[in-house]
Amino acid sequence: MELQQKNPLKEFAPQLERTSIQGYAWILFLLMVIGVGVYAFLQQVIHGHEVTGMRDNVVWGVYIVNFIFFMGVSYAGALISGTLHLFKTAWRKPIIRMAEFITIIALLIGPCFILLCIGRLDKLHYLVIFGRIQSPITWDVIAISTDIFGCFIFLYLSLLRDLATLRDYELLQLPNWRKKIYKALALGYTGTPEQQERLNRATDIMAAMVIAIAIIVYSVLAWIFSVTLQPGWHSTIFGPYFVIAAVYSGSAVLILCMWVFRKVYHLEEYITKKHFVSVGVIMLVLAAFFGYFTFSDYLTKWYGSEKNDELLIQLLFKKFYWPFIISNYVGVLLPLLVVGIAKFRTITNITLTSIVVVIALWLNRYIIVVPTLESPYLPIQDSRPEWLNYSATWVEWSLTATGVAVFCLLFTLASKFINIVPVTGLQKEEKKEDILV
Amino acid sequence: MKRVFAFFIFLVSMVSLVLPPLNAYSEEKTDSTAAPAESRLAMAYLCSSDSVILTATLSIKKGESTLALENASIEFTVSTGADSKFLGKAMTNQEGIAVCSFPYTGLPAGTDGMISYTARFTGSDKYPGAESSFHAKPAKIRLSFSIEDSLRILKVTATQKNEKGEEVAIPGETVLIYVPRLFSLLKIGEIALDAKGSGTLEFPKAIVGDTLGNLVVMAKIEEHDKFGFVLGKNTINWGVHKQYYKAEVPSRELWTPIAPLWMIITLLIMLAGVWAHYMYAVYELVMIKRLSKKDKPLF
Repeated sequence: MELQQKNPLKEFAPQLERTSIQGYAWILFLLMVIGVGVYAFLQQVIHGHEVTGMRDNVVWGVYIVNFIFFMGVSYAGALISGTLHLFKTAWRKPIIRMAEFITIIALLIGPCFILLCIGRLDKLHYLVIFGRIQSPITWDVIAISTDIFGCFIFLYLSLLRDLATLRDYELLQLPNWRKKIYKALALGYTGTPEQQERLNRATDIMAAMVIAIAIIVYSVLAWIFSVTLQPGWHSTIFGPYFVIAAVYSGSAVLILCMWVFRKVYHLEEYITKKHFVSVGVIMLVLAAFFGYFTFSDYLTKWYGSEKNDELLIQLLFKKFYWPFIISNYVGVLLPLLVVGIAKFRTITNITLTSIVVVIALWLNRYIIVVPTLESPYLPIQDSRPEWLNYSATWVEWSLTATGVAVFCLLFTLASKFINIVPVTGLQKEEKKEDILV
Repeated sequence: MKRVFAFFIFLVSMVSLVLPPLNAYSEEKTDSTAAPAESRLAMAYLCSSDSVILTATLSIKKGESTLALENASIEFTVSTGADSKFLGKAMTNQEGIAVCSFPYTGLPAGTDGMISYTARFTGSDKYPGAESSFHAKPAKIRLSFSIEDSLRILKVTATQKNEKGEEVAIPGETVLIYVPRLFSLLKIGEIALDAKGSGTLEFPKAIVGDTLGNLVVMAKIEEHDKFGFVLGKNTINWGVHKQYYKAEVPSRELWTPIAPLWMIITLLIMLAGVWAHYMYAVYELVMIKRLSKKDKPLF
């Protein structure tokens, strides 16, 4: 048998068995935020999209920004977890499940923002009935639905060993219905050599698949923008640029999750500085790539001096000055300094940097979407200034906060259902010197 | 426990402070509807052949927004001093536009030949009435075509009626020549009328017509103090014959119902590859389940 005969769940059992008062308060707070979002959604359903800041010119706003952001985070989770698994990275165990949860949860939330952006939800099924393969929107629908299936299978394969452990650990004080669920989901896995061999094979294949799908799916999302002849969008490097930005933002979200669960569940023995530095180095490399792609994209636009590109760049350096600076300068340079210089390389600094990176990458998506729509090629007849200047309303901000709250809530519930750190084959991190730590 | 309860109360208070009132939008609506409505009626005049076309556009200004008023009745009259003659009624369409067309012969005119047209919206319970007037003297533009020394010549003649009802020339005015295109009029030249009210223009050769080469040519006097807008038009087959592109059937461009073949093949290969791997992973799970029946539990 591959699992240790001593109870590996002993340390993680309290997380699954009990929820503290602070835990209930946290869940209640999240539900209240979601409640505000439901109210905002009802306002949008009753009054239509006039309660948002979107108008005839700027038809995409914060909703699309959130969609891109959450999908990016999701694909990053898939890429990171798939890569760590395939390369059998030694330190991956304590954090890989977080990356897998990020993948699934963000993937469930992201498309909801598209639904919020669509005016006529009653005609949503037309996408299937009248969908045209030539349309990038159809590509996206096919890609996301395929990705959801793949990520669920990968997550399930990754959970199987721990589900079996939970099923067989009799000291676990859980209601019977939960034990039944574990039993059903464990599929009778007992860790025989043949079962292990099949599970490893399937997991390896799916790890490779989720990496490939994540790259393709996020490229498809980028192509929705880049196949149009809009200034700022019509770029050949948008596919790889989006993928890099996605993994970059996802690595920052992973660091934030690591910090939160380390504090809340007292996982200091398992998630150590080494893990923060390792993911931080991934973030550093991605920051450099992201900076390179950003510079390359804007340099060619600026040097080309095409009229509409010039107008867009002027807009970015005037009206969108601070978002542009934060996303493309602060968001790139800060990880390089904090993770790159050993003196600054602490858990707190890396976590704070991750917060800045998350904000910067959200703003990056905002300055990709909104300024371009505010500088259209063709003026609309009888257009009004307020149609050209987008400003998100409280409805959009509430639903954005709701998206974040749902992400946190699902993560919290998932960590209550199954241990956030995989127990199978887990070893406590030994205190040893590392060149980066 | 008290501290937790106090914390909840604090949270609820904070969220309720942030939450806007339930009737926030309805209040906003009420405020905007409370502003007094103002009716605005604009009239456009066009004299074409022997007819006059009056176009009235009715809009309602309420607060900062301006909306077209649909299904409103607009009365058109023509008057000279105290005499007034009712021309007809027309209902406004979705864009608030009502059109009235009638022959200008027999209409009461002033001593200078000017005719005064009026469009009137009498108002309703919700919206006040509005009125708009326009004064113009009827005129006529004729177009004729000839070929002189292998040159295509367009001749334009503009006339007006004198006190006796006889047609006399309009000298010295400028007539603009257009050819209608898909979205707007293409200007091809200007003609300055001589003392006989006539002028010519060498017609360009490279203008695309329909499949038979037919072109509609328009001559216009625009925004004239006395004649207003006058239009004359005629058709001639001097255009380049339009050639329609006949696509192969079935066509596989991006905009046709059938996607390009390469796209369908690429998509099928990708989806087949991905879903085959999914099915394999599911198959392995099924096999794991089958193998379980022989084995004992982990602990």
